[in-house]
Amino acid sequence: MTSFAGRARVRRAVTGYALIAPAMIATTAFLLIPMVLSAYWSLTDYNGITAPTWVGLHNYVALFHDPRFVRALTNTITFVLLGMSIGPALGLCAALLLNEHVRGRGFYRTAIFLPVTTSLVVVATVWKMLLNEQGIVNTVLGFFGLHGHAWLADPSTALYAVIVVSVWQGLGFEAVVFLAALQSIPQALYDSARVDGANAWRRFVHVTLPGLRPTLLFVFVIGIIGSFQVFDQVFVMTQGGPVESTNTIVFYLVDRFQALELGRASAVAYVLLLILATLSAIQFRLFEERST
Amino acid sequence: MSRSRTVLAAAVTIVLLAALVASCGGSSTPSASSSASAGQPTGTLTVWDYYGSATPIKPAIKAFKKLHPQLTINYQAVDWDTFRQKFSVGVSSGAPPDVATLDMTWIPTYAAQGVLADLTKMSGGQLNGKPIQSQYTPGSLKAMTYQGHLVTMMSDFDAYALYYRADLFKQKGVAVPKTWDEFSAAARQLAVTSGGKLEKYGFQVLPDTFHFAQMLYQNGGAILNGDNTKAVFNGSEGVAALAYMKSFLDDGTGVYWGPDQGDSSGIAGIKDQRIAMFLNGPYLMGILKSSAPEQSGKWAVAPAPISKQPGSYLGGTGLTIPVNAKNPTAAWAFVQFLLTPSQQLGVYKYAGAAPATIAALHSPLLTKPDPYFGGQAPFGIFLDAMATATPYPYVQAWDKVDTAISDGVTSALLGKQSSQDALNTAAQTTDSALAGQ
Repeated sequence: MTSFAGRARVRRAVTGYALIAPAMIATTAFLLIPMVLSAYWSLTDYNGITAPTWVGLHNYVALFHDPRFVRALTNTITFVLLGMSIGPALGLCAALLLNEHVRGRGFYRTAIFLPVTTSLVVVATVWKMLLNEQGIVNTVLGFFGLHGHAWLADPSTALYAVIVVSVWQGLGFEAVVFLAALQSIPQALYDSARVDGANAWRRFVHVTLPGLRPTLLFVFVIGIIGSFQVFDQVFVMTQGGPVESTNTIVFYLVDRFQALELGRASAVAYVLLLILATLSAIQFRLFEERST
Repeated sequence: MSRSRTVLAAAVTIVLLAALVASCGGSSTPSASSSASAGQPTGTLTVWDYYGSATPIKPAIKAFKKLHPQLTINYQAVDWDTFRQKFSVGVSSGAPPDVATLDMTWIPTYAAQGVLADLTKMSGGQLNGKPIQSQYTPGSLKAMTYQGHLVTMMSDFDAYALYYRADLFKQKGVAVPKTWDEFSAAARQLAVTSGGKLEKYGFQVLPDTFHFAQMLYQNGGAILNGDNTKAVFNGSEGVAALAYMKSFLDDGTGVYWGPDQGDSSGIAGIKDQRIAMFLNGPYLMGILKSSAPEQSGKWAVAPAPISKQPGSYLGGTGLTIPVNAKNPTAAWAFVQFLLTPSQQLGVYKYAGAAPATIAALHSPLLTKPDPYFGGQAPFGIFLDAMATATPYPYVQAWDKVDTAISDGVTSALLGKQSSQDALNTAAQTTDSALAGQ
């Protein structure tokens, strides 16, 4: 009896491992091994050809002494702060409008979501042409007697131009997520608030926002992680320039990898991982505290 | 007990899976069976080419295959913009090409990283049966050599001359400038401005190291000191060179051509008449002909106007074999084939660029009058420019130095900093990069 039960348990375990084996192989090959290797390389001087030379924490120290990395870090933080202030706010506004019973609602929903379905590289290429000194944006400004500007060629405006494009592209995703969440808030709560004399603003603050809390956490966690990893639009629109004004952490990482500084590039990856893990933990903690 | 055994089993499974996956990875050592150690090349030859649709390499493959029918050739066209990423991934993951076209400005970083095969050793100093030294100009040989060893073989060269709209010069009675002062005067005569702003017929001002180096060398300056340990481009020669570049923008005779304008060739500005003069290399001849055929007969080429002496950066395309190439025998055979005089002429014939070997440069095909340039034969001018051109310094941190200079030049040209301050900032970054390399 005992022997039979033991054999059954072993059989179940074998079946279980066999079922998860494909996922384990993929995770090991494409996640665990690269992560472990990358952690080791970040502590070495390594170009991918010759054997790695152990340098300890030198790559990490050197990063924070490199003005280009410091600039990339500050640019990325600016991108995250502005992008995550404007993007979700606009997304929520759009969702609130789209949640109303307006004529052509389906069209507006489709229109606002359309940029999300378009390749970021395509979007960035089109915006690069629009924002060119001879582009449509300046031509339109000219109709109103306003002087055009070389938005992407001027170091003082290039990063903001990239942020505008990124917010525009991501707006539809945020709007759709918020819209789904808005529709899950029970109408009875709004009706009760109305009976209690709450005006539209108080209904928004006391009913809508609490109802959106898990969605807000989702949007901010996903958004902040995505924003810290900004690369495609920078690569297409500005190549990190002019004068490092749009250099970001991931662009810097790719640049170091391109120069075959695999040790330094791996250190950048781990700095980014640390930043994102810390920020995500803080966000979860904050939202947990407010929920309890 | 049972639980700990299960955990142990899981751990062992992961380790075994990891070992299995790792063992499936490619090896970076050359495959013994891929080529014979000497003589006839066999196996597979992988070629990565950034020349684009006008490549001289793809047509050469058919002829090479006839000579070596036993060889399988895996040809891949790779976009210039993303070539470095692909190349870096290839060599660091043990899956490099056997032959790659590399921009000569990328060579210093890769050579200093030890990524490029020693072609002196591989060739025994001979190219197609003749000494390599006799087949290139001294400037090209210097550009191809790192620490006494050849690391690439130049396929085409790049040295700058002045392209100008000869029809407008004639129409406005402007003499072809020979000095910086004459150049500024010519730009003023040529430009059509409105409210101090250029409307058309300007000089293209590019905020990059290539064009700053051109002015710097002409003004008697250098990028780094003799032993490549310190920046010297922020000396008086460099500051004057940068201020001179900016003067075209200040007096409304220059077109600032930043990266947002698209490609650096400036074709958009050439076609809409904003650009009537620019400094660039011989490869632009082919681009002009294919992209602006309507301007045939309107352009001419002259030696770049100088301040103190002739000078240009020396670049081009290098045919390169990575140190971990799988089939170096076939790779070297193919490189030699591409550098035979008949194949070298393909560089001009297909890409419209300037072949790098001396035999090809003196071919009658290159010296015959070109209708696009009003019956002029511009190659001689580029050949003269090459004679006084200087390759970029061979330092591992060259990409960082290049970025620092480009940033400084951009900053000064946009008026964000004075020329001196911009170059001082760039020099500081350069010095730290050189110290930390």
